[in-house]
Amino acid sequence: MLWESSVLLQLALSGLLAGALYALLACGLNLVFGVMGVINLAHGELMIAGAFLSWLAYRYIDLHPLVVLPLVMGLLYGFGVLLQRWLIERLTGRDELTSLLVTYGLSILLMNLGLLLFSADFRSVPVLQGGFYLSSLDLVISKPRAVAGAISLALTLGIFGFLRYHRMGKAIRAVSEQPEVAMICGIDVAKVRQMTFGIAAAMAGAAGVLLSILYSFSPETGGEFLLKCFAVLVIGGMGNFLGALLGGLLLGLVEAFVGGFFNVQWAEAVAYLLLVLVLLLRPGGLLGQRHAVF
Amino acid sequence: MAEPSILEIQGLRRDFGGVQALGGVDLQVRRGKITGLIGPNGSGKTTLFQAVSGMDREATGRIYFDGHSILGLRPSRIVALGLGRTFQLSRVLPGLTVLENLLVASRPDDSEAEDRAHNLLRQVHLERQVHVLGKALSYGQQKLVEFLRVLMRSPKLILLDEPAAGVNPTLRRTLWELVRQLQEQGTSLMLIEHHMEVIADLCDEVYVLNEGRIIARGTFSEVREDPQVFAAYFGHRNRTAS
Ligand SMILES: Nc1ncnc2c1ncn2[C@@H]1O[C@H](COP(=O)(O)OP(=O)(O)O)[C@@H](O)[C@H]1O
Ligand SMILES: [Mg+2]
Repeated sequence: MLWESSVLLQLALSGLLAGALYALLACGLNLVFGVMGVINLAHGELMIAGAFLSWLAYRYIDLHPLVVLPLVMGLLYGFGVLLQRWLIERLTGRDELTSLLVTYGLSILLMNLGLLLFSADFRSVPVLQGGFYLSSLDLVISKPRAVAGAISLALTLGIFGFLRYHRMGKAIRAVSEQPEVAMICGIDVAKVRQMTFGIAAAMAGAAGVLLSILYSFSPETGGEFLLKCFAVLVIGGMGNFLGALLGGLLLGLVEAFVGGFFNVQWAEAVAYLLLVLVLLLRPGGLLGQRHAVF
Repeated sequence: MAEPSILEIQGLRRDFGGVQALGGVDLQVRRGKITGLIGPNGSGKTTLFQAVSGMDREATGRIYFDGHSILGLRPSRIVALGLGRTFQLSRVLPGLTVLENLLVASRPDDSEAEDRAHNLLRQVHLERQVHVLGKALSYGQQKLVEFLRVLMRSPKLILLDEPAAGVNPTLRRTLWELVRQLQEQGTSLMLIEHHMEVIADLCDEVYVLNEGRIIARGTFSEVREDPQVFAAYFGHRNRTAS
């Protein structure tokens, strides 16, 4: 009995930690959707960009990913701002198909750029080894997983707090709800959109750095994660920030349990199973489908 | 000394496809005064506000606000120069609380925004709704919150587009008191309103718009006597004054 409950606890904890990474990635995707109405199909490639930056820094200048993390976030923030200013801003008010096509094109472009620069080989950044022993619970959590999960969760909650309480966060919510009202409140809507895309890109970049210490990755890994993000968004509710956070954690949990009790192949498929289930039972997502709820 | 008009509009035009919504409007709003803008439905009143506030940047002509040429500027720039406006149909931010609705409209450097918001809410007896979401308010309360939102930056000129429409008599009285008080503090206002007794009571000067043109200008009693105004309101079939 004791043995069983400790296994359950082990699975739950590692599932939540893995889910936190999904949450970090999905919340950024959801933020862009909530504010701009654009589904950014290149979000996965932004993550992979973060992962390769982490790998480059580790390989060539021997920098630890956790040191590189803030730099990567800054870089991707800047890249996101420029992308929004030059590309995505032109898509606001256009139909969804146009924005899907454009971000799909961007995704293909970035992925091929990655293949060109780094080939299709898998890389990893093996900096953290072993595990933490939690004596009070009598279980061991792998170090990379614990560190990546904790940072993901902290970042996601930090962004959530920023959106909820910071002045700029309120401005972002105002723009997502009613851009015209935001304008007349004196908010520079174009700037706010740039900032939003920048934040989302920085979150993707951070997810990439954390991914690099957890798993091996190639330029083609972005697509897989994007698909899982979609599952998370549908599960939690499109445009719903908290929904994406909970959806991500839930997906991590379910994958861990399915992987633990059945096998890893099943765990890989379970995201889509969950997606179909939610679509059948609660098409609006678990927390409801609303436009930009933060 | 600043010029006597806070807002000066010259030859303002706006077409929607074939429809001429504004056909060359000239208009001045004097500093510290309440200027009424009346006219039948569809005469172009809201379109004029859209152009002045920068929400509609397709209009042509000239607009000077407090000495600045503002036609073509982004709304956020115009607001920063000291203009505020409300919308005809209330536009409270539904997912933000009442307090957040006000704070989001404050000046970035305003360290007393929160106090100011609380004071404003107290003035209109909404202090108990501070943390209520915008969408949970009654329509009348929403219009009031929208008005307070404008006041967060203490604008020099406020454009009010039918602020009392759909508001119950009690809240309406609060609203007009607030307008009066603002004027006493030196704020200039421009008011679109269908109730003629309100116009008569509040406005120092009135412009009458009909089919995109100014057909009369003066005090309320002057424009009321104008035969063209009478014709605009009652002379056509299928047109009403409300
Ligand atoms: N966005 C728009 N697209 C097309 N026509 C419009 C638009 N806005 C206003 N109009 C037209 O312009 C005219 C003036 O409208 P409006 O300014 O709303 O009148 P008012 O506020 O005086 O009732 C009307 O004929 C209206 O149909
Ligand atoms: Mg109107």
